[in-house]
Amino acid sequence: MAQSGFARNEQWNGWLFVMPALILLGLFMIYPILWSLWMSFQVGRGMNFSFGGFNNILRLTQDPVFIRALTNTLTFLAIQVPIMLILALLFANALNDSNLWGRSWFRTAIFLPCVTSLVAYSVVFKSMFAQDGIMNQMLMALHIIGDPIPWLADPFWAKVVIISAITWRWTGYNMIFYLAAMQNIDRSIYEAARIDGVPAWARFWYITVPMLKPVILFTTVISTIGTLQLFDEPNLITNGGAPSDSTLTLSLYIYNLSFRFMPSFGYAATVSYVIVVLVGILTFIQFLAARDRRA
Amino acid sequence: MSNPLALIGRTATYLLLLLAAFISVFPFFWMLVGATNTSADVIKGKATPGGALWTNIVVFFTSVDMPRILFNSFFIAGVGTALTLLVSSLAGYGFEMFRSRFREKIFGSLLLMLSIPFAALMVPLFIMMANLKMINTYQAIILPTVASIFIVFYFRQATKAFPHELRDAARIDGLKEWQIFLFVYMPVMRSTYAAATIIVFMANWNNYLWPLIVLQTNEMKTLTLVVAGLTSAYTPDFGVVMVGAIFATLPTLVIFFLLQRRFVEGMLGAVK
Amino acid sequence: MTSFSTRLKRSLAIALAGVSMFSVTSASALEITVWCWDPNFNGATMKLAAEKYAAEHPDVTVNIVDFAKADLETKLQAQLASGTTDGLPDIVLIEDYGAQKYLQSFPGAFEPLSDKIDLSGFAPYKVELATLNGQGYSLPFDSGVTGLFYRSDILEEAGYTAADLEGITWSRLIEIGKDIKEKTGQILLPIDPNDAGIFRILMQSAGSWYFNADGSVNIANNDVFKAALHTYQDMVAAGITKPVAGWTEYTGSFTSGDTLATVTGVWMVGTIKANADQSGQWGIAPIPALDGVEGATNASNLGGSSWYVMSSAPEKEAAVDFLSSVWGQDADFYQEILVNQGALGSLLAAREGEAYSASDEFFGGAPVWQNFSTWLGQIPSVNYGIFTNEADAAVVAQIPALTSGGNVDEIAAAIEAQVNQQVQ
Repeated sequence: MAQSGFARNEQWNGWLFVMPALILLGLFMIYPILWSLWMSFQVGRGMNFSFGGFNNILRLTQDPVFIRALTNTLTFLAIQVPIMLILALLFANALNDSNLWGRSWFRTAIFLPCVTSLVAYSVVFKSMFAQDGIMNQMLMALHIIGDPIPWLADPFWAKVVIISAITWRWTGYNMIFYLAAMQNIDRSIYEAARIDGVPAWARFWYITVPMLKPVILFTTVISTIGTLQLFDEPNLITNGGAPSDSTLTLSLYIYNLSFRFMPSFGYAATVSYVIVVLVGILTFIQFLAARDRRA
Repeated sequence: MSNPLALIGRTATYLLLLLAAFISVFPFFWMLVGATNTSADVIKGKATPGGALWTNIVVFFTSVDMPRILFNSFFIAGVGTALTLLVSSLAGYGFEMFRSRFREKIFGSLLLMLSIPFAALMVPLFIMMANLKMINTYQAIILPTVASIFIVFYFRQATKAFPHELRDAARIDGLKEWQIFLFVYMPVMRSTYAAATIIVFMANWNNYLWPLIVLQTNEMKTLTLVVAGLTSAYTPDFGVVMVGAIFATLPTLVIFFLLQRRFVEGMLGAVK
Repeated sequence: MTSFSTRLKRSLAIALAGVSMFSVTSASALEITVWCWDPNFNGATMKLAAEKYAAEHPDVTVNIVDFAKADLETKLQAQLASGTTDGLPDIVLIEDYGAQKYLQSFPGAFEPLSDKIDLSGFAPYKVELATLNGQGYSLPFDSGVTGLFYRSDILEEAGYTAADLEGITWSRLIEIGKDIKEKTGQILLPIDPNDAGIFRILMQSAGSWYFNADGSVNIANNDVFKAALHTYQDMVAAGITKPVAGWTEYTGSFTSGDTLATVTGVWMVGTIKANADQSGQWGIAPIPALDGVEGATNASNLGGSSWYVMSSAPEKEAAVDFLSSVWGQDADFYQEILVNQGALGSLLAAREGEAYSASDEFFGGAPVWQNFSTWLGQIPSVNYGIFTNEADAAVVAQIPALTSGGNVDEIAAAIEAQVNQQVQ
């Protein structure tokens, strides 16, 4: 009797604690999500729409702009996320050495980009990568390049700028997650390995990385979601996907379809569910991969 | 310790870190230099300090109603952060401490919700706000961000490290569940809160698309909106823009340095 | 869905009725709210208009809110799409290219003005582009009449005078550009590979557009458009252009002397004159005409915008009266904004004023405004349709193919295919 009363109490308390968040999510997430789900089956312009069944999905397959946006987004994902996470892991590993001189300075410096303001950072990057900007000046002074690179006017280099910008902004953020996790690893494991003559790279690869697997998985999932939704950088740094759609992302395309072009909210909603499906698939694969390696 | 290989490795590590630190900090330096130069010099990529700082500051303060704008930004980011921390940590605590199969299902579905791009939710959200007569109000910006799925995840992870003995002891002392949360959990987890404060404040401060849609008057605009507006005139003054950029960056930097000491500790808890 | 959503909305409203933090209530009666996008340009002119109006109507205040142009368009579209009029301004500035998109996709959102304000005094092409079903919806503001802005000092060095640029075609300009490059080593034109503006200028100069008058797509078989593509390709191939990225690099390029000329709208005068040290070193010629195209002229338009009154405006009557009495007839006001902001209005009567006939030492003593006014009268009228943004995006996507020397017919076909796909 007391037992079941306690269980009921537990249930009741559980709901009480999560309720404020669930109510707010219900209001401000679920309703808009249902609306957009319903919209994804509507065709038409502006607010004059009608039920179109799977027409929007059909339209996706024939839309060259969607294909471009999808390709760009997946390119960013495939290149940027690994580079950023590997760098973050390397920095974290270097900073995890308690004998390292100035480690808190390095840590602060590398983390700093992620607390900058979005507009400030985009303005600064735009001006640094201008034709006459400091980037070209430095590279030319170091004789790495002979002629200035048209960073933002060339489809390839514009992608490079976006990848550099996101990497700059978020590497330190991910590094902190790794650094924190590394400090939870028992030092004696390293000591034992060191005494056994295991070299530093092997200690990193066979001890640190496996111990960090849950955090790596977490950061991979979060970064995947972030990159699939990439909007701010191409909107502010490369003026909305410039040049020639080379930095156009799915989120930017959704924005264009809703707010720049003749509004086609149904189709825009369909494109956004492509992102949801992609996140679902990729997260599933990432979880599988993490499980496989453990076995 | 003194074998040459280790020495090379050591040097390489320092070089790598120095380079990374330089690249990380350089844009901040660039912003400071830009604020001292005229617009023409900023465009030309002049890398040395100039003499236009005072003019830029004066122009910035005459064209922007700073006290009001700063109040808006701080109010939205401050209240938003406080509410987010409270609501999301309650939920993270609740999901972890009181398990039920049904709530686990809800929790699992949150991740998919996180993956829907905001641009797709903006129109229905705007219609809702209009029906609630909340267009051009602070709460229209704050309320949708308060239940942050990411922060709920974060607190749930961190709660795994919260010692259960403390909770049991508190129960034996007769504390109610809300008292345990308020007087035991929150003080113990203060590092976690510090880390979350930085993350949430930063996100609120940088919020751009949604405030842009919902805020309608000059008196309500946030600093992020104002600085973005400065950049898009027919003839933007980039020296002034850089001054604006500095003011837009300072608050998040200050918060970070204030909470820095607790920050790594807080992240530590979240990844146990 | 409807009943579900209304029920949800109702319960929401009840749930949140208690929530009231810092609700900002709309200010006192008779405040006209205006949205515009450049505090130094259209915002400044509106401010002056407001002062003029307030002198005679002390009870009315005009509240000017400025956003970035792209931001303003996002806001307006989101708000109109949501179907709520809460928070909309009384008057909004819209760029002319978007006029029909807003008028046709949001019927009833804008107030017809032709019954209330005499629009016959404005440049006809400006009135026409905001006319729907015989009703004029806008009070025309600035014109985007185009000119060829060039560094007269350096062109002179290379042996060219103002007369050499008068009434030429694009192939002649390319020759001149090549010659100047040979003699001085300098590049004539900056070109932004992500901006379709140059194509809009070229097309309109020969009275054509991406769309036919009935709205159907007219790209793959549009000889004017294809001539524009050829011209662009020739310019790039001739080595007289330099790629720039975005607005700032673009304006920075010719104001810093990195490039020597640009073809753009009259509103660029202010940006150029901001470099006081270059006074006397600039000239303005009419733009070149397209080669071998029927109806080609030396006049065109880029940008330009107009004021619209929202039907839902709480102060609709006052807003209309304000526009009518200052913007609709005050010729002196137009002299002032011309002098102060370099804003070339569309009110024809204003051209008789003193400021319009003044010559400008900055541009070598030429009667700049007089010239622009003359060209303004020659701009071929076209119907911008409702999908100009979509067409621009399709053009920009093909620019790499164009600059690398691709086949113009195939490129035009690809652009048309994308536009057709986008406008469904």
